[in-house]
Amino acid sequence: MATARAPERAPSEARPAATPAAREQARARYSDTTGFIERDGVHVFYEVYGAGEPTILLLPTWSIIHSRFWKLQIPDLARRYRVITFDGRGNGRSDRPTAPEAYAESEFAADALAVMGATTTDRAVLVGLSMGAQRGLLLASDHPERVAGAVFIGPSLALQQTIPGRERVNDFSERLDTDEGWAKYNEHYWRRDYRSFLEFFFSQCFSEAHSTKPTEDAVGWGLETDPETLIRTHVAAGIGDRDATLARIARVRCPVLVIHGRDDRIAPFAHGEELARASGGRLITIEGGGHIPNARDPVKVNLAIRDFVESIQR
Amino acid sequence: MTTMTWTRALRRRRRALYISSPIGLGHAMRDAAIADELRALRPDLEIDWLAQHPVTAVLETRGERIHPLSAELASESAHFAAESSAHDLNAFQAIRRMDEILLANFMVFHDAVADGEYDLVIGDEAWDIDHYLHENPELKRTAFAWMTDFVGWLPMPEGGDHESFLTADYNAEMIEHVERFPRLRDRAIFVGNPDDIVPDDFGPGMPSIRDWTERHFAFSGYITGFDPGPLVEARDDLRRELGYRPDERVVIVTVGGSGVGESLLKRVIDAYPEAVRRINGLRMIAVAGPRIDPASLGAPAGVEVRAFVPDLYRHLVACDLAVVQGGLTTTMELAAAGRPFLYFPLANHFEQRRHVRHRLDRYGAGRFMEFDEASPEVIGAAMAEEIDRPIASRPVERDGAARAAAMIAELV
Repeated sequence: MATARAPERAPSEARPAATPAAREQARARYSDTTGFIERDGVHVFYEVYGAGEPTILLLPTWSIIHSRFWKLQIPDLARRYRVITFDGRGNGRSDRPTAPEAYAESEFAADALAVMGATTTDRAVLVGLSMGAQRGLLLASDHPERVAGAVFIGPSLALQQTIPGRERVNDFSERLDTDEGWAKYNEHYWRRDYRSFLEFFFSQCFSEAHSTKPTEDAVGWGLETDPETLIRTHVAAGIGDRDATLARIARVRCPVLVIHGRDDRIAPFAHGEELARASGGRLITIEGGGHIPNARDPVKVNLAIRDFVESIQR
Repeated sequence: MTTMTWTRALRRRRRALYISSPIGLGHAMRDAAIADELRALRPDLEIDWLAQHPVTAVLETRGERIHPLSAELASESAHFAAESSAHDLNAFQAIRRMDEILLANFMVFHDAVADGEYDLVIGDEAWDIDHYLHENPELKRTAFAWMTDFVGWLPMPEGGDHESFLTADYNAEMIEHVERFPRLRDRAIFVGNPDDIVPDDFGPGMPSIRDWTERHFAFSGYITGFDPGPLVEARDDLRRELGYRPDERVVIVTVGGSGVGESLLKRVIDAYPEAVRRINGLRMIAVAGPRIDPASLGAPAGVEVRAFVPDLYRHLVACDLAVVQGGLTTTMELAAAGRPFLYFPLANHFEQRRHVRHRLDRYGAGRFMEFDEASPEVIGAAMAEEIDRPIASRPVERDGAARAAAMIAELV
């Protein structure tokens, strides 16, 4: 049973000492209700905006950032629909459990169901970015009655193609003799210079010119968690290999929209293409776009989500 | 039954949607003046306003038509108030930190024009509309007239190299937008004259702001929200009407409608003993405005504190000296009225400290004051010096609204 409580409660684990969170800038719209769900002692913070139909559940992505990464979607979508966000465990106002198992994909999916329960949401359109695709696939394949449609933005899945230069990610726990490029994606480097890792990572996410503001935002949200927590999220279980992923996709029955930047340097464009093809969904390619088009091309993304929702409603 | 109506092109009324920046009160007054001139040129033109507080306050008293989607706009003025503290507002960073509000408001604008019934959109420093139309050029549905009174984000010293990098990047993006999509701004109007443009470049190795602006903008001259001419000519009558005696030396202290000015008000009130010692017949009136509690100012006997003064500009014409912040509208109203004034730009406010100051210097109007360096004694002495100085500032043009309207009218 979910518990609603005052949003200002402190998480069970002490906040990272890294850098205090910068003062949040004024929002275009503030949530109508907030609360926490609790599962196995882990509290997860959610917010609800607006009252229209249907409900749009904006899923968390990798816990390197929290739910504010939807800030350019929430005010627009909430003018029409009911919008729910939650901070993925490990960042924002959700707890930072200390066991790596707590960050398994199945836990994020279970959090989503618990948030839906706490907000009496029978069915929702899911929208996920990057890692959000894995949670979204778990929900759409295992709980088809709860999912009216699914939007996957820059989906990050365990399909085959990799980004050239990113192989160093496989040496995550090795002690490397270099900090260059993707060698920064390494637990020892994270402990040594977490901020520089964040700056590198988001420079890769925002490959578009003139991205200073979204990059600053994302680095700031990254500093609201800490390297130890992020290491736990990295070693936790995903949704399986290529075959397991394709099997999941094959079980998706709801309408699917994929939005993918052709210049995505985090999740290969081919992942989005394959997801759209295998699910019978629609693919919108952002030519020249990077990994986080909802932050960089928010008008296009918002209008695409609106069109998708209207097409389901009809 | 579902029905729809489509009106044949030549049966349609001329319609414009006007978006006036709510950051500061000045745009509302000048845009209302332009709208009047526009209607004089195009009597059948219907103007709707997509507007928010405080612009709506000005428009409602004039009986202007407010678009119903205006109610869904997120507040830009509240954001700016939240970004400021004491006598300090980093205006460039405040704009950057407004990205969420700007995007949300662009989506509202998009819905307002989506049905295709407007012929023209006029955006007076409507940053959201100009930026996101350039990012999504296929969404342009109407002719678009863009207006601004400054071009170029400029760094403040406190921001260091990083802020210089950021302003150059923002300027570069704007230049790329405009040069790639010249079809988007059907008119780009600079509210002022070429000499009002700062002498700076857009950034290291980038074009001169003045050269570029002269190539990409037309110039309307300055646009006052009211015509000060008749008031100035009948100034003695005006003083009588407002209750200012001929032998009084009236000093008006005002910080506009924002809550940012409390420190300045207090400092100037503290200067009263020094000023009254130096200025015979001094009558000091401090206007607290809607956001500052008059009682909180601790004014001594002799200083009149008023919460609100209707038609403040008439008092500015009638006064002997004004003490104000560094915003463009109030300082230029004073320049147009030929009154002496002290102005205190906010710290870290690139527009007030660079663009506005440059323009006032060109007109020879007002005396720049540094808030951090101005003790009450310094302010009192400056008031005494300025109140008796013969006015030698350049006249401010009175036909700016008509000139801007004539440029816009060609589009509709």
